[in-house]
Amino acid sequence: MLTGSAGTWRPADLVNGDASLISRRCWTDPQVYALEQRGIFGRAWLFLGHESQLRNAGDFVQAYMGETPVILARGGDMGLYASINSCTHRGLPVCRADHGNARRFICPYHNWSYTVEGDLVSIPQEHALQHRPDKRELGLKRVPRVASWRGLVFGSFDPDIIALEDYLGDMRFYLDAFLQRFPQGIEFMGAPHRWLLDANWKLPVENQLGDVNHGAFLHSAIIPREAQDTIEALGYSVVTAPGHGATFRLMPEDAPVDEVAWGMEGLGGLLGGEEVQAYLRDIQAQAAQRVGPLRARMKGLTYGVYPNLSFLWSNASFKVSHPRGPGQVEYWSWAVVPADAPESVKRALRTNYSSFFGPGGLLEQEDAEVWVQQFRGSNIDHADDHPYFYGLGLGEERPHSELPGLVSVTANEFYARHFFRRWRDDLQAAREDR
Amino acid sequence: MSDEAVATSPEQQRALEAFYFREARLLDNRQFRQWLALLCEDIRYLVPSRVNVQVDNRQRDQEAMLSVERELEGEDSRGCPIREEGYLQLTLRAERAYKINAWAEQPPARTRRLVGNVELLAQEGSQYRVISNFHLAYTRPGCANALYSGQRRDLLLAAGSGFRLQRREVVLDYAEIALPTLGLLF
Repeated sequence: MLTGSAGTWRPADLVNGDASLISRRCWTDPQVYALEQRGIFGRAWLFLGHESQLRNAGDFVQAYMGETPVILARGGDMGLYASINSCTHRGLPVCRADHGNARRFICPYHNWSYTVEGDLVSIPQEHALQHRPDKRELGLKRVPRVASWRGLVFGSFDPDIIALEDYLGDMRFYLDAFLQRFPQGIEFMGAPHRWLLDANWKLPVENQLGDVNHGAFLHSAIIPREAQDTIEALGYSVVTAPGHGATFRLMPEDAPVDEVAWGMEGLGGLLGGEEVQAYLRDIQAQAAQRVGPLRARMKGLTYGVYPNLSFLWSNASFKVSHPRGPGQVEYWSWAVVPADAPESVKRALRTNYSSFFGPGGLLEQEDAEVWVQQFRGSNIDHADDHPYFYGLGLGEERPHSELPGLVSVTANEFYARHFFRRWRDDLQAAREDR
Repeated sequence: MSDEAVATSPEQQRALEAFYFREARLLDNRQFRQWLALLCEDIRYLVPSRVNVQVDNRQRDQEAMLSVERELEGEDSRGCPIREEGYLQLTLRAERAYKINAWAEQPPARTRRLVGNVELLAQEGSQYRVISNFHLAYTRPGCANALYSGQRRDLLLAAGSGFRLQRREVVLDYAEIALPTLGLLF
């Protein structure tokens, strides 16, 4: 594994051939981090927001692509535009609000002003000057690719990246099991909860990508053993492409509707009363028609889309792990609810997320603790010759007759091996480009 | 919400403060079950999310422009509060603390709460609307130290010689949440 002085390593020194051994430096090394910024965050499709946040011309939300602050806005032509939130004159952010509706973004320093699409429209001081700059050249730096699928908006700094649909590939089959379950899709509720963790960005990602196996152990003060037994008995872990993964329970065909229906097992469903439960049963009754009989029986757990988007189906939250240097994460999470649900039902269902997840969540406080501690452990220099063991279930995943991708039991850590193989190859490609 | 305190007698003020001081002591001493006994069973416990809002041009030059309320995504908002809980969730939090596998607090946090600026805003029958401020110092092995600060907007019900907590909204002061957890009992 990793030896030699700084600067002489190759990504293959960090992650071995089958990714069953992974160096601690993957999470801690500043050079690894710098390569990630270029090789992953500079190239991949990155999640920016949801169209439910951008209904009207001028609506905008803040986002990040890696460490780069971005404004995602609905333009006057109702198109989606993403621009870097930094004035082309002196670099200040031109937008300070988390979300809102604007006609212009104005830099505080000299009042250069921009349209929501990012075009420069005014330089106040130019009127006193003889030479006027060409404003067409001085707009906010545009994110070259922005695309939306089922209302999920992504951006990429790589103008030549493959189409978003192809990037998501078979993950669409699994995402649709949730997104298409509701007659009008989903809606994001408000600004994301954003909090800082002293950990590396890949730790929340790996947890959400497929690690449902820790539930029985880390969360045993909260999650009853029977719930975990159900996950083990009915659970599937799927990798549709390296870095993309889904875990879910496939409920028996004769399971009662209350056991299959999304949302019933959360506190919002349990405590929400007749109105909420009737809504959830009604949605489940339409499920076979909307997503087909197989996906109607799916009861999702966690999903991941490479590199840093997570979807927690069971608790209805989308999450993005934004890197802030090797040792810090700015973690964003949104509660999501069915767009067609009555307002009172949406409010009840958002507690399926907030009771257990988010910065105050009963379960996530335990996850956050282990991410911080794993990051600390990864900094132990004298253990560099003892890479982490990622070999559980090595080679046990198989194709499946009905489920796209490679499929296995949830205890198989192949989702993480596939992630790190792609990660290693992306870093290697970025290194060769230099 | 009216922000003017109503006149209180010294005895009434002392009774309110005594309730809060005891509550803080129980929480700092990790006597969470005794703390639960201070709650009404229909309690609503809320922690709104705090967002960076766009200035509303129509409100410029007015106090309303800077209103704290505009920053809160609370119970009645179309956003998502950080916490919206009842007796069940608070019981889960309290009871979880006594399990040996509650790893997020193992070893347990050492906390110290200072409660002040206790003001009675209204009294109707046995119901008291009270606001108070708090600082909460937090230290735990393996975790960065933290100082929490916030305002609590409470509804108290007179009960026997003291009070019971019927509703609490915790307005936390943060720009970015650089705190170990917002899952504490504030």
